[in-house]
Amino acid sequence: MRLYEFEAKKLFRRYKIPVLEGVIIDRNSLNELEKVTYPVVVKAQTFLGGRGKAGFIQFASDKKEANKAICSILGKSHGPFVIEKVLVEKRIDIEKEVYIAATIDRLEHKPLFMLSKRGGMEIEAITKHDPEELLKYYFNPDDIMPGFKARIMAADLGFTGNGLGLVAGIIFETYRLFQGFDCKLVEINPLALGKDKNIYALDAKVDLDEDAMFRHPELKEMGITARHEVGELTQREQTAKAAGIPYVDLDGNIGVFPGGAGFGIAAIDLITHYQGKPANFMDSGGAPTQEKLRAMLGLLIDNPKVKTIFGARFGGISRCDDWAKALVQYVKENKPKKPMIMRMAGNMEKQGRKILEQAKRDYPELFKDIKVYAVDTPIEDVIKETIRIEKELDTE
Amino acid sequence: MAIIIDKDTKTIVQGITGKNASLHTKFMLEYGTKIVGGVTPGKGGQVVEKIEVYDTVHQCLEVHPDVAVSSIWVPPRFAKDAILEAVDAGIKTIIVITECIPIHDMLYARLKAKEKDIVVIGGNTPGVISPGKALVGMLPKITFKPGRIGTVARSGAVTYYLANSLNLAGFGESTSVGLGGDPILGANYEDILRLFENDPETDAVVMAGEIGGVYEELAAPFIEHMSKPVIAFITGKTAPQGKRLGHAGAIIEGNMGTAHSKIEALKKHGAILAETLSEIPILVKKALEGENKGKKA
Repeated sequence: MRLYEFEAKKLFRRYKIPVLEGVIIDRNSLNELEKVTYPVVVKAQTFLGGRGKAGFIQFASDKKEANKAICSILGKSHGPFVIEKVLVEKRIDIEKEVYIAATIDRLEHKPLFMLSKRGGMEIEAITKHDPEELLKYYFNPDDIMPGFKARIMAADLGFTGNGLGLVAGIIFETYRLFQGFDCKLVEINPLALGKDKNIYALDAKVDLDEDAMFRHPELKEMGITARHEVGELTQREQTAKAAGIPYVDLDGNIGVFPGGAGFGIAAIDLITHYQGKPANFMDSGGAPTQEKLRAMLGLLIDNPKVKTIFGARFGGISRCDDWAKALVQYVKENKPKKPMIMRMAGNMEKQGRKILEQAKRDYPELFKDIKVYAVDTPIEDVIKETIRIEKELDTE
Repeated sequence: MAIIIDKDTKTIVQGITGKNASLHTKFMLEYGTKIVGGVTPGKGGQVVEKIEVYDTVHQCLEVHPDVAVSSIWVPPRFAKDAILEAVDAGIKTIIVITECIPIHDMLYARLKAKEKDIVVIGGNTPGVISPGKALVGMLPKITFKPGRIGTVARSGAVTYYLANSLNLAGFGESTSVGLGGDPILGANYEDILRLFENDPETDAVVMAGEIGGVYEELAAPFIEHMSKPVIAFITGKTAPQGKRLGHAGAIIEGNMGTAHSKIEALKKHGAILAETLSEIPILVKKALEGENKGKKA
């Protein structure tokens, strides 16, 4: 889970990694500009890289220029996302810029600290053009970084004298932050030596492990909440998130009620393969509750773009009887009009099938457009039938 | 003898008193899995499905010293410690059902297991089944039939659909292994492909991969050294970038872990790529008929 620069810098402050004074400004807080001393840098808050090139980092030497810069950035699109906030920071004179980052090497299964004397460049550019310019130091998981290692790294970056101690301290604290907040990445690019001989983290990139958030309730207090890796959630995605459902909006009109994530991913591929258009990705997680299953259906039924629903339950840790119960109760309560073509197989299937048959007998009208196939019907036949029905509806 | 688990393999269940663990303990026992004990700290002395519960793995092993496999069902925040406990007790194979284990936790647990040559499967694995012999995990038995095709996939339902697709065409499985959907895994594709290559009861392997991570790409070069055909199915071709699709592992970050990079790597090293689930058994059949070295056909 990627953080905005201004959020990442809140974490930096906790670890005494030096950052510049700044204010965060959106459409409703332009008066914050009163607090800054000029010259300043105006930086769009976005998850995507390449802000400089896109014109989303601008300099201003007085209030008028700052206002102009802010207005030219707010509301603009960066990739698929709209920029809603800028960070206005004091501008300093720079003597030297370097790159430092702590991350996880997923090939080696080890934490890794990286350095480069080429600060300010994108890391991809460094590794592409001058791979020998990127220095790598591996650590064992959970090991504390020894102070001497941090000094070796600072020396490798070319720092001496007072600067060596300062940079070693920042490297040490960066690694502590990386471990302490369960980060996937902490990147400072550039880490700058100012003409004033102080060191500053000019940019801040932090990517957190969403699965470790339970250990860090303080993030919520800091106003840091869940989002996509590279953007904010849509309204429906937020609703889903609140219900504990991993959900992503897609462009199509076939609602996908898939069970687990693995098949959820396969299902959107298969629907596309057979010329259908999936409306969403969704994941029930293991052993979903009745409530969660009904919420999942609700997300699809309430989405006006969704015309038909493809459903699949392969009962493993998630039981067919729970799935059937949730489906029946949802239909009884909400009387949805959208056709649902589904398949149910696996653990507790017999019990699940009984529940469905009973419901069909009791409420034939409500269940007339709901089909639930069994293990002997290949899943792809169910997908093809869903697409066929969707196309029929479309031509009506 | 089947890989990883066989009908005589003695196993324990860590977290056995949990709702899901106790239900699946029942299913595993019905299937014939030799579960000799369970562990839940503070609940020693209880009984689940006629299986004795112990407070610690070590206590359990004093009574049952020949346990070869432990499955772990504890909540994610306790997973690291549960794995370390099984490692410390010297259990040779640890199957981690728990999902969404913090990355830093798993890196550490994985390292400690590796230092003692212990195989960790998962986290977030649906488990391992050798059809007709034994099952550890939550795989639904109806989906699997004894046979000579090995399967390896990351997530549960994909594992089930692979087997289902093979079974509908008359094939069965020697063993089906779920690697797990978490971003950091214990065993990877290459580890399991190696076991299947050396398994006299396996004729061909079906592997399913998905976006995120590079485990599929890493395994690709090994396929070239295999005598048995490998049929591969990769999902996530239509996945949006930068959005996490359920599994912590399933996200396209930069150029890493795209379906395209996986497909290209696997093709290059001699795997046969299937576009759909129903195509898999057709390709298996062709590859086996095309022996010797059907995979190159």
